Order: sequence, then structure tokens, then C-alpha cells
Amino acid sequence: MKTKFTQILKQRYYLLFFFSLLLQQSYAQQQITVKGKVTSAIGESIPFANVIIKGTTNGAVTDFDGGYTIAAKSNQVLVYSSQGYKSKEVSINNQTTINVTLEEDIKSLNEVVVVGYGSQQKKDLTGAISVVKAEQIQKRTVTTVAEGMQGLVTGVKVRGGGRPGQEANIEIRGLKNLQSANPLYVIDGLVTTANRDFNPNDIESIQVLKDASAAAIYGSRAANGVVIITTKKGKKGPLQVEVSAKTSFTSMPTYDLMGTEEFAKLNNQAYDNAGLPRQNLNMAVDTDWQKAVFKSGLIRDYNASVSGGGDNSTFFMSGNYFGNEGTVVGTDFDRVSFRVNSSGSKGIFSIGENLAISNAKTDEMAGNPIIDVYRMTPTIPLYDAANPGGYGYGKQGVADTFGTNPLAISDFANTINENFRIRGNIWSELKFASWLKYRFNFGYETSVDSYSFLRKVGNWSLNQPIDPSRINQNKGRSQTKLFENTLTFKKEFGKHDLTILVGQTFQKDNYDQIYGEKLNVPINSGTGDYYDVLNQGNNPVVGGFRNEATLASYLGRLEYNYDNRYLFNAVMRRDGSSKFSDANKWGNFPSVSAGWRISNESFFKSEFINDLKLRASYGELGSGNIGNYEYKSFINNFGQIVLGNTQSLYPSATVVRLSNEDLRWEKLKQTNIGLDFAVLNNDLRLTADYFIARTEDVLFGFPLLLTTGSDGGEPISNAATVENKGFELELAYSKKINDFSFNASINFTKINNKLVELGNGQNEFFSGNTITREGSAVGMWYVLQTDGLFQNQQEIDNYKNADGKVIMPNAVPGDIRFKDINGDGDINNNDKEIVSSPWPEFEMGLNAGAEYKGFDFSMNWIASHGATVYNGFRSTVDRFDDNSNYRAGIQPWTPENPNTDFPRITKGSNLNSRGDSDRFLESGDFIRLKYIGFGYNIPRSVLEKAGIARARLSLSAQNVITITKYQGLDPEFSNGNIFERGADIGAFPNLKTYSFGVEFAF
Amino acid sequence: MKKIIIITVVFLGLFFASSCENELDQNSPNDLTEDQYWKTESDAQAGVNSIYAMFYKDGLWARWIYFRLDLTSDEGYSVSPWTELADWTRFNYVNYNFWEGNVVTWRDTYKAIFRCNQVLANVPNITFQNEEDKKKIIAQAKFFRALHYYYAAILWEDIPLVLEPSKTTDNPAQVNVTEVYAQIEKDLNEAFTDLPPSWGDDQTGRPDKGAAKAFLAKLYMQQHKWPEAKTALEYLITGPGAKYSLVSNYRDNFTDTNENNNESVFEIQFGDQRKGGTGEDQNAAVSSNRGQFFAPRGIGWSDGQARFWLIDAFKQEKNKDGNLDTRLRWTLYYPDLLADFGDKTYGRNWEWNNNEAWFRKGSRDYYRDNEDYYSQVNYRLIRYADILLRYAEVLNETGNTAAAYQYVDMVRARVNMNTLATAHPEIGNDHDKFLERLKTERVLELAGESVRWEDLKRWGDLNSQAAVDKIALRDPDFNNFVVGKNHRLPIPQNDANNNPNLEQHPEY
Repeated sequence: MKTKFTQILKQRYYLLFFFSLLLQQSYAQQQITVKGKVTSAIGESIPFANVIIKGTTNGAVTDFDGGYTIAAKSNQVLVYSSQGYKSKEVSINNQTTINVTLEEDIKSLNEVVVVGYGSQQKKDLTGAISVVKAEQIQKRTVTTVAEGMQGLVTGVKVRGGGRPGQEANIEIRGLKNLQSANPLYVIDGLVTTANRDFNPNDIESIQVLKDASAAAIYGSRAANGVVIITTKKGKKGPLQVEVSAKTSFTSMPTYDLMGTEEFAKLNNQAYDNAGLPRQNLNMAVDTDWQKAVFKSGLIRDYNASVSGGGDNSTFFMSGNYFGNEGTVVGTDFDRVSFRVNSSGSKGIFSIGENLAISNAKTDEMAGNPIIDVYRMTPTIPLYDAANPGGYGYGKQGVADTFGTNPLAISDFANTINENFRIRGNIWSELKFASWLKYRFNFGYETSVDSYSFLRKVGNWSLNQPIDPSRINQNKGRSQTKLFENTLTFKKEFGKHDLTILVGQTFQKDNYDQIYGEKLNVPINSGTGDYYDVLNQGNNPVVGGFRNEATLASYLGRLEYNYDNRYLFNAVMRRDGSSKFSDANKWGNFPSVSAGWRISNESFFKSEFINDLKLRASYGELGSGNIGNYEYKSFINNFGQIVLGNTQSLYPSATVVRLSNEDLRWEKLKQTNIGLDFAVLNNDLRLTADYFIARTEDVLFGFPLLLTTGSDGGEPISNAATVENKGFELELAYSKKINDFSFNASINFTKINNKLVELGNGQNEFFSGNTITREGSAVGMWYVLQTDGLFQNQQEIDNYKNADGKVIMPNAVPGDIRFKDINGDGDINNNDKEIVSSPWPEFEMGLNAGAEYKGFDFSMNWIASHGATVYNGFRSTVDRFDDNSNYRAGIQPWTPENPNTDFPRITKGSNLNSRGDSDRFLESGDFIRLKYIGFGYNIPRSVLEKAGIARARLSLSAQNVITITKYQGLDPEFSNGNIFERGADIGAFPNLKTYSFGVEFAF
Repeated sequence: MKKIIIITVVFLGLFFASSCENELDQNSPNDLTEDQYWKTESDAQAGVNSIYAMFYKDGLWARWIYFRLDLTSDEGYSVSPWTELADWTRFNYVNYNFWEGNVVTWRDTYKAIFRCNQVLANVPNITFQNEEDKKKIIAQAKFFRALHYYYAAILWEDIPLVLEPSKTTDNPAQVNVTEVYAQIEKDLNEAFTDLPPSWGDDQTGRPDKGAAKAFLAKLYMQQHKWPEAKTALEYLITGPGAKYSLVSNYRDNFTDTNENNNESVFEIQFGDQRKGGTGEDQNAAVSSNRGQFFAPRGIGWSDGQARFWLIDAFKQEKNKDGNLDTRLRWTLYYPDLLADFGDKTYGRNWEWNNNEAWFRKGSRDYYRDNEDYYSQVNYRLIRYADILLRYAEVLNETGNTAAAYQYVDMVRARVNMNTLATAHPEIGNDHDKFLERLKTERVLELAGESVRWEDLKRWGDLNSQAAVDKIALRDPDFNNFVVGKNHRLPIPQNDANNNPNLEQHPEY
């Protein structure tokens, strides 16, 4: 397969090389010929640099050695430019040899930033937009783009994990709604998702639109922020080929658990304390479940790209293979992706396309081995022929646990997800005049999804009924069609610089799926495996559905710049969505922003301050991020009933789920105040932003009163008002001294989340051990509070409320003392209160890099402070009323060992074991070396003979140093439940990853 | 070429600008909407059938309600390793939002009531060919609304009374349990009027007039309205509805081999045709999970088991032949089952503790050695033996103890027990002694059939510390019982906190 792929690539290579030759055009005129060499400050030649005759479109491109030849008139001026360098102008003045040294442009103030339906210069921005360097993401080993952005951008919080194919959660400027915090991704103008089937190596640049004014152009889908991804494009010049390969080894963090001997001691003690007969433990067995289930993983990431172009056309193509053999048995992720784009122009007309094809296949994790490895006791053997299926698990009176044997479930319950996606767009532009441009964009995305679940016969836990074999499959297809028409007017009138954009877009999404299930799937006697198709078996169930949604929008933007001092920007978008009833279909989303470039004022005279700009913006964004047809109630006719002497089935149909017909757009109102500042010859730069984001009419399905009798998912309503206030700061310094250059930046994000109001007449919402209540942040810890241990009976007898009632009369010395918060002399639900927050007070990132000659080094630290998290691991292994393995070395309270904070252990039921207490809350503070890497660029002199333009070797490591007091596997865990973000319930940890990479360009 | 492209682009642009707004109306291609429904007789029929489907939900008669009615009572208990689950059978209520112990049963109760209310609100507007059919459908909905409110009143007492189809913004008002009872009475009386005396063979399982009267009798008895209860019971025993008899084989009440027999007054119809879950999915099951949850360790989940005092109670009295009461055999699995009756436990020798017992009624050991989630054995919610014992109780309460004997004797005779007077001559016509004996008679006949909790409440055995102390001798879980508190469950916290018209019970 892989060789075939390479072959195809090779064939394309020659084909494209041939085309690229045709496209090469020279502009020889009968003038003088200028030759020369373009080099960098350290003397390295710069290939593919542009050499343009000023005021014309004529130019040349430097070759591998930086050499160029150009014909020009002797009085003309040549403009030398190359990506990453400051451009330079040189008058020819009859010279025939001009060697130019370009300075590296590390300040990037003149960067062009893509802002949605257009671009702006970074210096002219009035909104809060962050730019992420693609190479920062690409040098990490990541599955998704989001994961690669961790710690690089202020205001962007990313939480991922190391499960193969796991998609990281990303949250821009706090939790602004309650449905999904994921931002809108726009890839090459196509509104889409950058999920695991998107290859991060194809990225040229990423901009994160964080405030309302920046994102407003995307209107109703931009409430969570927008991540604009531009993929790599071909550049004018000869064919460029880049090949890279990276191999990474991953390893699982592990728990420190007991072996049989230590386990038996404590298990017996727990039974003794409960007055129960001890278990007949199997002391001959000493299973290390982690050893059996966890292994070292291997990630392979191979990329090849070919690009090139001439004056009127460019192309780019790439192929990628990403394979992740997981650190847990039975997990695997494979992605093959292919991308091509090209563009061409003739006269006022230009046209281009982007096309990406990918196939991603995930062998999903079965059950949760992260939990299972500690729920299984060491006295249980891996295999036990006496059990159906042959795996060991809990046994009555011997190893009383309902823990799941992770090897068994991985064998007997196999889930495979696969999707094949085509994502692309075709655009064309008509440039009627230098100041007027029309653009049509047609985007199309389709994904063919297939899901397969095969349940084989066999058991994985105690008392499990013997289920028949079962196969459940579904095939789905999603399609998105996007039509966009935009007209851009851009003109300078003296000191007035004006850009006006108007446009109209229409998007149609549909998804249809068919599913089927059969029981009693037989084993194919030919292969010895179960049939994994729906052809076999009995008790068939089939079904299917189709969802359709449409969105029509009108948009407009006005950008005005007066003398590079006063900047003004206004955006209006009007969206109509099929997801709302006729009365509420349309929403208007306006925004305005302004900037004042103080440093350009005539009164501002400072050699020290190079740039000073104030920014302010206000905008309203919408969200209609809900399912289709939410505003209607439907009849569920899935049920049947048994009646009659023959016990036959009869139909049943009724409304099961209520709905809200007056659903309307969720509205985010965001104010942003920002400052850009640069000193020391632009070496030290600071960007600071303060924002208030208030989301009203948050669309969410809070639980209805149960007395409504509604079931089948909570109906969506405009249910809450959420507010996020935050402060972001980025400080960057870069300096170059001869051959040595270095850069460092710190980013700091502080966000205060608050639920301002719960709608629907509700007061509180509970989820797990959290409460969401008006006036405090979403998902605060709401638990019983512990107050040390009772050391003796006297302490228990003296623990009374104001009325003299003994509060915990059934306690025994060594038990936890709980606080009787409401003073009623009893410990119950009413003694719970908010004790702490799962939200960090602030999060930080530190990025630093250095280069010396061919060597480079970079690292990225992240830190989080102030969050309280729930250690689900401890809440399971420290409870003792339900058997599990235990943490090695714990010292529970006994009369002989009273000086401990670990309560008396007992197999019986008492308050000690309750999970809803602060006993399992811990500080989630951590500092982590997210990435550290070294690279070496092999000197050009060595490579030249081999015809290689660039070669680089790199060594890197991820997640290798973590400073934390958290006792779970990973303080940087993620929980997809918005209300329980701080609960670490078997979250798949981030993995220590060691990578070796090679890159070639020729 | 260029012109063609330009024209195409411009045309496309104009086309989509004008046409797209029309496409903003998207209707679901998948399901009927509510406003398309409730138009035809078959809509009404499927609508009322959906109420029956509520028996298959885990909060109700598929699973968890047995934990409330059987395990919380002194007949059963739980040593589930799932501590919180077990705690809710022994009055250790800490988290009032505990789903399996409290919330799901509350939710499914109101889900059933929502279905009843939909039928009651919509079916009257549907035109039927035969008005009688319409009345029968409405009567069924009333019967079931009464049934679900009855058990809710037993469990929580003062609850919100919802009588109209729900809206998302409803905040129904809590009413005193007497108001709940009054509504149940009204619904049952109206249901009785329009329900048929019996159904055709293909409709077996729907409630008839007898079922309505039986529930009325239960309702009156809980309120100690003895004369009204007497009248209601007489409809089934001596009145126009007297069509019942006791099946000769006691076990026929607990297997799938003789379902809907002459003893059955109201029976929940279970099947195993559909192998789905207890939700609303396409293959939603129509089965009972009770066997899977109550079967002994190693066979089922073993989350519920029987108290050992039941065995002693059975062994107090031999039958006419001097042998053990055969009801013991079909009621329980216990260590001496093999020695006493020659039965193994699901084909196994006794491998559990010597002081343990498990419920046998409804188990399928007569043809398999394990359980699963798909038991098809119907649940006899009210059977004639229960009616007879109730009638005896009512006669005793209305000062006619002597007349009560014959009804107890009918129940005893079926299993070859001596008459009550012969076996217990000391009782005579003493009301209290008779009642005390009747309590035992009800246990021997009905243990594990979800009547014990309402019996204990009706007899006032949960109202005084002395009575509770007595129960605690046979069920130590009652040491946790707080008089004035644990006779009812806490309201699920989510509803109590979010409904301004609903207060948590003050004792919680």
C-alpha cells in the first residue's frame, strides 16, 4: 500500500515537473541583464526569493544557490523579497551584478492576517486576533490541530489526551455557551471542522479570531471563536519537493498500585473492620494489570509535498500517513490524507481549488482500561478457563468486584470507526479594477462514515449475563454545500484607506444514516473469527434517518484607515437558519471596532517606543448550534407492547420528548479592549487584551422538571446567561546577535466564568458532584466537607450540634468527621455546599527558542494554577466498601496507627467511602514541559552535491517534565462534560512522547 | 471561454441569492410531528398502548420499583457491592438525586402520567366509528393514571398532581396525599364505568372493570375506608365481576406457562421478543429485568435478596399432610431447598451463605440455569388470592371477623393447609389477633410480590418506634428507620430545588 502511494507520488512528481517547466516564463527584454546572489545575514543563500522590478509585475526567482538573472532597464529599482525576510529595494544604476543580503523579519508586524473573506495587515488590526505559526504545531506530534495549539495562544485553552484518534477539546476565551466549546474552523474558506482526519502538516498559517469584531463576519457560527486555517500553496518558482518523516514513541504514566501481598493485608483488614468473613483470596496470583494492558505506543507521521508555480499559476500537493499504535491494547488510529490545490489567472479572471481527501480509521478503546486496571485486584488472574470466554474476573467470595477485565472487553467488544472525507472548494475571482473584486466560492465537503461494533460471546465481569453475539453497524454520509458571493472594494484616497466588503452565502448540510443490528452472529468456520457483516445472525433491527439544515446569510464589512493613525472597522451579518421556527429564523449580528495608532501621531516622538496602538471593539455574535428540528415535538413509534393470549406485539406511539417552539438565536455580546506595544527596536513586543463576553439566551437542554415526564434528551431552550471576563497578555522578545538568535514569549490568560442567570425558572443544575447555580461559575464543586478523623469514642459522642444532638452517632473511631453545615444534627444532602472551583485562576505558556548556525532549540512550557480537580482514581481505590486494588503504601487509621489522614478502612457501608465529599478534591496546579526539541540543519555545502536544498534532523520530547501535586495520572486531563470539567474520571492521560524526525527539501 | 465563465459565475451568484431563502424551511423527513398525530382511531390506539410500554421502563416494573417495594420492606434487602444502591434499600439516603434509588422511578412515573394525559387530552377530539371504543381508550388512560399515581403516593405521598399534557415550562403544584388519593379515586371510578367486564383473547392484559375495582379497593384500604373497600372487593368476589378463582398449582402465578389465568386480576404483560434496552429506542425491550437483578450471585446481579425470617415463617406450620408449606418451595431459594423439596438453585447446589435466601417467584429456573434482561414472565400485579386476603382484612376491620375466616381458608386450602381455625384456634374473633395472623398469611401467600411495603404502611407498622423495633428484629435495616421520615422517600432534589411549587418533605 505504502509503496504504491509513493509510486503515485513519483509519477505525479514527474508530471508536475513537466508542467512546471512549461509554466516558467522569462521576461527578457532588450535591456541590460542583472545577475547576482541573494543571501541571508549569516551568508546562506536564499533560494526562491522574488526579485521584482518595482512598479511592474516582471521579476525572477532565485535558484537553489540564491542566484538570479533578470533583464531590466538600468534606471529601474529591484525589489527583493522572500518569506521570513524583510524586503529590500536596490536601484540598478547600471550595475550588472547586485548581491543582496536580506535581513530576517522576526518582528512580523507587517504580517498579513487572514480575517475571513479577506485579509488585513497585522498592524491594522482592531480586533483580537492571534496568529499561530504553523511550524510550532507541526514540530509536535499531534493528531489534531487543536492539540498542537496548546500553550501557544493567549485565551485558547486546549485539553487533550493520548488515546489514539482522540480529539482535543479547545475553548477560546472561556466557556461561552453550554453545548460545545469548539470553535468554528474555516479551512481555505470552507466552514468545516478540523477533526482527526485533517492533516496538520498541510497548514500554512493559523489565525484565531477571538473577539466579536474579528469573528463577526462569520456571524451565527462564530460565538466560540474562529480558527482560520490556510493550507500551504504553491509559490512561484521551480518545483519544490519536501519530504518529512517523524517517528515517536509514547509511554503511559502508571499508577502505583499494590501487589497481592500488600493488597491481601488491607483487604482482610477492611473485611475484619466490617465484621465480615474475609475473602478466600487467591494468594497464588499476583497480576499486574497495568503491565498486561499498557504498552509503549508508536506514532509514525510521514509527509511528502510537491509545489511550484509560475507567474499565472501555482500548485501544491501533499500526501500524509499518520499511524498511532496506542499505549492500550486494542487501540489504533490510521490516517491517510492527500491534498492538492492550484490556482491560475488570466487577465481579470483567476480561479483555483483546494481539495483534500482523507481516510481515517480508529480501532476504538473498549470499556475504560484506565479505570479497569485499578478496579481489578491483583488476586484475579488474567485468564480463567472456568469463565465463559476464558478471561479472569471477579469471583464471589474470592475476589468480589464487578471490575471489568480490560483484555476481555477488548477481545469481546470491538468498535471500529472509519470515515472517508472529501473536503474542497473551487473559487474564482474577477478583478474588474484594481479596486474592485468579485469572488465566488463553492465549497463542498462530504464524509462517508462507517461504524462497526462486534460483540463476541464471552464475559468480562462477575455476574454478567451471557449475552449473545451481536453486530451493530451504521453507515452515514454527511454533505455540506456552501455558496458564497462576495464583492470587495478597496481604494486609497490620499490618507483615507477604505475597504468595503459585501457578500451573500448559503450553506446546506445534510446527513443520512442507515443502521442495522443482528444477534447471534456465528463464527465463520473457515477463519475461526466471527462474521463481521450484517449478513449473518438473527433478530434483525434496521433503521435510518436523514437530517437537513440550511443557513442563508448576508454580510458586510467596512474597514477604514486614516493616515495609519485611526482605524475603524464595522461588520454586519444577517443569518437565517432552518433550525428555528419561522418567527425566529433570522438574527442580526453587528460589530464595530476601532484602533488608534498613537505611535504614528505627530505629537508622539519616541525613539524608544516603536509601536503603540489602542484597540476597542464591541460586537454581537450568534449561535444556532443545535440539532435540526429542535423546535418541534415528534411522535416516537419505536415502542411496542405485549398483549393477548398469544402474547403478541402491538404498536405504541406517543410524544416522548417535549420541545420549545420559540427557540431563538443564542447571542454573545463581547467587548474587547486591547493594547499593542513594541519597544527596543521592535525587539520587545506586548499585546494585552481585556474582554467581557456575555452570552444571552444560551441554547442548552437543562433538565426539565422530571414531573413533565419528558424523556429522550433534554429539550433545548434558551436557558441561561453566561459571562466570561478575561485578561490576556502576551509578551515576546526576540534578538539576533551575529549568528545567534533567540526568542522568548510568555502568554498569560485569566478568565472568570460566571453563570449570570438560569432560564426556564430553574435555580440550580446538578451534574455529578457539581452544581451550576446563578452567580457562580459553571460546575462548581458541591460536596460534603470532611473535618479530620475521629480518634476515639469520646470525640464522636462530643460531636454535637447546637441542640446537643450527636451528629454522627454511628461513627467508629477512625471514621471521617463530616461538617454538619446546616446544623440539623445529621449528615445528609443538605450539608453540601460549594467548596471550590474547577476553573483555574490563570493559565500560562512559555515559549522559547534559539538558533545558532545550523542548530536550533525550542521549548514550550504550560502552567495552570488555581483549579480544584476531582481525583476519580482515588475516589475508587480509597473507598474500600467496594473492592478494587489500592494505592501502594497507604496507611489507614487503626488504633495502633492513629496519626494518619487515611480513615479506617471497612468493607461495610459508611460515610467514609462516599464519593461526594471533598476528600477526593485536589489541587490541579501543574507546570509542564509540553514540548522540547532540538534540530540540526545540515549545512548547504554538504547537501549541494546531492542536490538537496535543505535537510534537517530533529529530536523532540513532549510531556516529559510535569511538576504537580496531583495524585492522578495526569493533571492536564480533559473531561468532555462541560459541567464536570474538573472531574478526572478515567480520562486518558497525555503521553510522554519521544520523537525523531527528518526533513528534506529539494 | 472567459465570457462563458464570467456569465456562469454571475448567473450562479444571482441564482443562489434569490433561491436560498426558500430553503430555510426544513421539516423532518424522519418522524411525524405532534400536530400531525392524534387524528385517527389507530393514533388513539397506539397512543394508549404507549402507556403500557411504561411497564417496560427501568424506573418502573422492569426493574427499580422492586427495590423500593420489595427490598425496602422487611421481606428483602440488598448487599449489592454498589453501596449507594444498597443504601437506598436500608434508609441511608444521602444524595436525593440518586438516579436508580429515587429519581428514575419518579421520572418514569411522570413519564407514564404524561402519556395518560396526552391520551386524555387528545383522544376526545378524534372521531370514532364506534363511540364505545373511544370510551374504552379513555378509560384505560384513566386507569393507568390512577395506577401510577397510586404507587407514587405510596412512595412519596405529597407530590405534584399533573393532569394535563406537559409543557417544558410547567411547575406543577404539590398537593397533599389525600388530594392525590381523591384524584385516583375519581379516575378509577370513571375508568370502571367505561372499561369492559373483560377483553377478547387478543386484548388480554388490558384492565377490565375488575382491575379498576381491585385498585379502588387497594386505594380505600390504604385510607382505612373499610366500607368503601368492602363494596369494591365484593364486586370481584360476589358481585357481577365474580369471575375469578385460585389456580390449583400455586406456581402457575409465577411462570410464563399459565399466564392470564383465572386468578389474575391485573397482570403486566412481559415478552422477550425484543432484545433492546429499557429506553425509547427502536428495539426497546418488552421484558422484565427483575430476575437478572434478584438472581443469586454468580447467576444474576444479586442486587436484591430475601430475608431469612421468611423461611422460618413458612416452617412454623406444616400442611395437612404434615409436610412443609409448598409455597416456601416456590417463593424462595434457601439453603435447605434441596433437602426440603429436592430442588437445586438454578441447577446448582447451595453455594451461598447459610443465612441467605433469594426470591424465586418469577425466576425461570424451570427451563434455564441463568437469567438475563429479557424475562417474559408476566407480573401478576393483583391476583385473586390478594383480593381474598384483603377481603378478610376488610371484614375484620368492619367487625365481621368470623366471616373473614372463609376467605383466608380459601387461600390456605389451595396449598393444602388446614383451615385457619384449626391451625390457630387461639385467634377466635379477636380483631387484633386475627389481623396479626393475617399479616403472616399475606407474607406466606404474597412474599416478594411488591405488596409488603403498602401493607406495612396500611397497618401502621411504620408509625411507631415500637412497631419499627419489632420489624428491625427480622430486618436489621430497620435500625436505620426514622419514624416520621422514612415512611416516604425524599422528593428528587432537582425537582424540589427547581420547582417553586414543590417543597422537599420537611423531614428531609
